[in-house]
Amino acid sequence: MDHKRRTFLGIGLAGLGALAAAAVGWPLFRYLAPRSSREAAGKVVVPEGDIPEGGARFFEYAGSSAVLVRKRDGGLVALSAVCTHLGCIVQWQKESQDFLCPCHAGRFSTDGVVIAGPPPKPLAKIPFSVSGGNITVG
Amino acid sequence: MTLLKKIVDWIDLRIGVREIVRKELTGYLLPRNINAWYSMGSILLVAFALQVLSGILLLIYYVPDADKAFKSVSQIMNEVPFGWLIRMFHAVGSNMMVLALLLHMLSVLLMGSYKRPRELNWLTGFILFSLVQGISLTGYLLPWSQLSFWATTVATNSASAIPLIGPYLVEFLRGGVLVGPPTLGRFFALHVAVIPLLIAALIGAHLFLLKRTGVSTPPFGQPETPIPPPADSYRYEDHPGGIPFFPNYALEDLRSIALYLACFLAVLFFDPYLFFPKDAFIPANPFVTPAHIKPEWYFLANYQTLKLFPNELIGLSLQGAAMTFLALLPFIDRGRQRHPLKRPLFLACFIAGLLLWIGLGIWGHYS
Ligand code: HEM
Ligand code: FES
Repeated sequence: MDHKRRTFLGIGLAGLGALAAAAVGWPLFRYLAPRSSREAAGKVVVPEGDIPEGGARFFEYAGSSAVLVRKRDGGLVALSAVCTHLGCIVQWQKESQDFLCPCHAGRFSTDGVVIAGPPPKPLAKIPFSVSGGNITVG
Repeated sequence: MTLLKKIVDWIDLRIGVREIVRKELTGYLLPRNINAWYSMGSILLVAFALQVLSGILLLIYYVPDADKAFKSVSQIMNEVPFGWLIRMFHAVGSNMMVLALLLHMLSVLLMGSYKRPRELNWLTGFILFSLVQGISLTGYLLPWSQLSFWATTVATNSASAIPLIGPYLVEFLRGGVLVGPPTLGRFFALHVAVIPLLIAALIGAHLFLLKRTGVSTPPFGQPETPIPPPADSYRYEDHPGGIPFFPNYALEDLRSIALYLACFLAVLFFDPYLFFPKDAFIPANPFVTPAHIKPEWYFLANYQTLKLFPNELIGLSLQGAAMTFLALLPFIDRGRQRHPLKRPLFLACFIAGLLLWIGLGIWGHYS
């Protein structure tokens, strides 16, 4: 009988302990959890005139880095600027019209396709629309 | 359970943990007539640990820059999830910790535990008390509110009454002629690094001394008077036949800590701004002095004393003398008797002093 009582009290105590731990742990987790980035996934508007032919423009998008490129033929591309190998930020090579990742010399075409080096996947494409001289990304 | 036992066995075989448990916990015997006041120390240890933890959490979002400090604290309060909880925990916690410290000191005074051979314990405790006052004073500036700014202006200014070096000392404390960005820099360093380390070191010394002298026997309800400590040799005060620290007194400690947390959290959740006058919500403005700038409650008596005397030096000297007297009390009051009712002169001074402190505080609050 006494044994049962003990077990019951033990379980009760453990339950209270767990409750207290949750009451401390949850606010602590929320306090430390990253904010901004994804929730602020607003759209980014870039004036069309900002990007010359054969040029690129880097900007922050959804808490990460992205790039807009105007190809020589006038077409626009929006890509994630994060290298698919180990996450460095790719650089636009104006002369060769491609992206170079400075970390391990990965190369991507204007459309983000891997040309050389270790990157396993193409750069992610980002949707965008053009209207009234403005490019709206996202 | 058997796995746990195996792990403990494995460790025990190497470093003899069970012996430590036997010597320091289950075999660590305390006087049979020990009372709840002896758990104030455990409460203070927990309170300090909680200040360190909540302080480190605040450091994640707090910016120690005169232009950004107030905004960063507002952000902690209004935008960071549960930031208000961490911030109020730290701010209310500092007040509760001072209160616990005062109660600890009062109980030690009343039970005469500061007497031989525990003079050094009292002395380290007294330094701890000063350090806690220092950490509160420096922390008070950090939110860079009107209250912060002007309370620090007044507090640092009182040092100017010291002859000769006074004015320079004030400038040195502030890092400039007036309180300003340089003051925030030094107070921040003091508050988050220097003083916490000093406090930790002194807590270490305080506990070490306790370990060497042994716990005192309370003067209340004891059947026979304990053997007085020898005058010419060291003796550890042990308590054969006493109650074990673990689990008996550890549970009492736990209960006291729970009671402390209950009071603390009651203030935190039901009256969070108890210690926040409205100037705490206005950013510092060096060109506008608010009307009634008052220090925190535990500095009110000092504040009122300074106001009472037309000559600041007299007020300051009186306080210095009182503090020195308190610090050296065990060397002044050297009688062996520890029971308060058998020390009428002491008891009268104790009550008068306490009433004076409270009276000056209330007067300071309403003046
Ligand atoms: C390592 C330990 C500590 C760290 C890292 C720390 C850190 C901080 C920080 C960043 C602030 C500014 C944010 C705010 O105002 O809420 C602050 C404020 C403050 N701290 Fe600490 N602290 C520590 C320990 C303590 C201790 C032990 C006490 C007092 C017993 C204390 C008392 C205060 C006070 C009174 C304030 C101003 C509160 C306010 O008006 O909001 N701190 N502390
Ligand atoms: S990270 Fe880009 S090539 Fe390695």
